[in-house]
Amino acid sequence: MGILIPPLVLGGLGMILGFLIYLVAWKFGVEEDHTVRDIEHLLPNYNCGACGYPGCKGMAEALVSGKAVPAQCKPIKKEEIEILNKYLEALKTGTPVPAEVK
Amino acid sequence: MTNLLTIAFTAFFIENILLYQFLGVCSFIGVGKKRSSSLGMGLAVVVTIILAGMATWAIYRYVMEPLDIGYMKTIVFILVIAALVQMMETIIKKFSPALYKALGIYLPLITTNCAVLGVAITNITRDYSFAEMLVYSAAIPLGYLFVMYIYAIIREKLELNPVPKAFRGIPIAMILAALLAIIFSRFGGLI
Repeated sequence: MGILIPPLVLGGLGMILGFLIYLVAWKFGVEEDHTVRDIEHLLPNYNCGACGYPGCKGMAEALVSGKAVPAQCKPIKKEEIEILNKYLEALKTGTPVPAEVK
Repeated sequence: MTNLLTIAFTAFFIENILLYQFLGVCSFIGVGKKRSSSLGMGLAVVVTIILAGMATWAIYRYVMEPLDIGYMKTIVFILVIAALVQMMETIIKKFSPALYKALGIYLPLITTNCAVLGVAITNITRDYSFAEMLVYSAAIPLGYLFVMYIYAIIREKLELNPVPKAFRGIPIAMILAALLAIIFSRFGGLI
């Protein structure tokens, strides 16, 4: 019976802490600009680093700020890069993002 | 009272976390390059260690000790520290975006910093009372901040000096850390 105590304590503690994190995130969470996250989804997400940025997130940030071009991404597929270009074009001109991107 | 003063002095100078216990050295070498970033990291460590010290001490005393599962402390403390840093990050992001920007990447780094876990475990193994624990967990990170800042100042000056090519960068930083450790080891003669 005693062997059940450590897993129960650890599991209980994990659950309480997880719930606390959820509460804090729900109470104090901040809405962030979702463009970086959207672009990250459009990238292959291999985090290979071939573009010269630390992972796909770094590349997405550089794309938003205009420091990088989509061609720097090596493993991306042809049809994917077209969607990415369309998204970036829409971002630059300020027009709503085309529906097929989502 | 003298007891608490002894603990504070010992933790700050003699048992300095970086130069005597050799914990958290990765951030010492990595972040100690610039004064501003060393200050940011140091302050983040101060807040985290004090909070983590209190949380882990309370959990050990009131949950783990009565149940006689003290041997689980390593894994439980890691869990508590990681969750605590996560919550702190969210709260700082909400209330002080400037501070969040300044601390930036250092906050997640602290989660895996052995200094935090080291202090939490030392509090338990030395059987500290609440007041002693509080003094110890405040003095240790302040010592960290102090040494880190001195180190960053010297390294900034070092950039402007002619260092032999083979020693440039990390090697001279290691030698510098060793010299600082020798200086700090002399404090041991005071008590």
